[in-house]
Amino acid sequence: MSAAQPSATVVKQAIQWMLRLRESGPDQRLQRKCEQWREAHPEHERAWQRVLSLHQDLDLRAIPGAGLALHTLETSERRLHRRQTLKLLGGAALIGSASWLSKDLQLLTDWRSDYSTGTGERRSVTLPDGSLLQINTRSAADLAFDARQRLIRLNHGELMLTCSDAQADGRPLLVQTRDALLEGVNGRFTVRQRDDCTQVSVSAGQVALHGPGPSALHWLGSGQHWSIDAHGPRVVEQPDMDAAAWADGLIVTGNMRLADFVAEVARYRPGFLSCSDDVADLRLSGVYRLADTDALLELLPQTLPVRLHQRTRWWVRLERAA
Amino acid sequence: MSSQDSVHTLYSEHHGWLHNWLRSKLGNAADAADLAQDTFVRLLQRRDQLQLNTPRAFLRTVARGLVIDHWRREELARAYCEALSHLPEAQAPSAETRELLLELLERIARMLDGLKPKVRRAFLLAQCEGLSHKAIAEQMGISLRSVERYIADALYHCYQLRFENEL
Repeated sequence: MSAAQPSATVVKQAIQWMLRLRESGPDQRLQRKCEQWREAHPEHERAWQRVLSLHQDLDLRAIPGAGLALHTLETSERRLHRRQTLKLLGGAALIGSASWLSKDLQLLTDWRSDYSTGTGERRSVTLPDGSLLQINTRSAADLAFDARQRLIRLNHGELMLTCSDAQADGRPLLVQTRDALLEGVNGRFTVRQRDDCTQVSVSAGQVALHGPGPSALHWLGSGQHWSIDAHGPRVVEQPDMDAAAWADGLIVTGNMRLADFVAEVARYRPGFLSCSDDVADLRLSGVYRLADTDALLELLPQTLPVRLHQRTRWWVRLERAA
Repeated sequence: MSSQDSVHTLYSEHHGWLHNWLRSKLGNAADAADLAQDTFVRLLQRRDQLQLNTPRAFLRTVARGLVIDHWRREELARAYCEALSHLPEAQAPSAETRELLLELLERIARMLDGLKPKVRRAFLLAQCEGLSHKAIAEQMGISLRSVERYIADALYHCYQLRFENEL
């Protein structure tokens, strides 16, 4: 193993070459000299490849929406430094740190939620009543259990709930989303808050959908898939994906559009993942493991006429193969 | 005693104290509970043997790192939201893009942690704005040679984190 690690001297040389080439613009003579250096020893080439990929990962100009990056990084660093100085070293009593938090920004709500997950993370929690709550990637939920009800508020993302009659104790077990209030009775179901609707899939048992309106009630049966938005609830006949497979670490698709598949995989990996318009409508069916999304993406060119265009570790785009 | 046993002992004897300590730093019981939990999870993931001579000092060191990560996330989100609010609505990135970019910035901010302010600034001017070394030297009022050294140092620092500590 240690033989594979380039020495500090060689790494620093590789960095010098990279910076010289970047600064000089196109300069064939310099490029040739750099190539000679790389060819002089395998260790040089290894260091070069690593420095190159590191440099690409840190190249923020390649990332969409990065125009604010410098300001954001500098401002936050200054404030972080001040907070560290004030609070950790001083050790004085504190005022609540969150007074500035703006509640309407979704990306801030995670940190106030009882349960939240980061990208690619899944969590399982046994609730006080014994029900099992599973939370998928990039999700956040609050718990409000009191004398009248057992309420789970899904702020964003996706959850799966496994519950049984035996745990009922007279208090309803409710899941609230932006579009729907659901009551689990017995069985297992998944709830996903999407931008424009809430999706519910019942794996086992029954779920009651309350509303819209005080007296409306729908029963969602085992094996059914529903979508609820501002126009009310409707059954989804042929879903293109198994809604519960994530709990087993899988994506299982049936004739799914590639663009939808890519959006789905993107939920589980850091960085930007997209596909070009000319491959968006390709279809795919299969079982894919979420544990390693790099490996998952590398499988796609074997079955579809696509290639991976990887600009940095965090920027990948699927394009039509030449 | 296995490392897992010693974490359990640490947990039962010091969890309450750690939670209080964190609450005094964060001013918020729920965050303190999360970070106390994360501290012990972090210890369970360590492969080396725990140093138990001064358990509270040890816990505080781990917890302090997590507090700083927590604050870094907060400050990044706050600075980013402020910067966004100055953009015309049409140019504002989608919610998805915002979340991804923020995650990326956090990764980078953590990588650059520990660099001297000038080194960090020179590096970011190059990586975020694509400025030439000469332009950076002018903007920062330092010599070209310093800029070159700073940027090379910053890259080497990131290299070590990425390839030698398996970050």
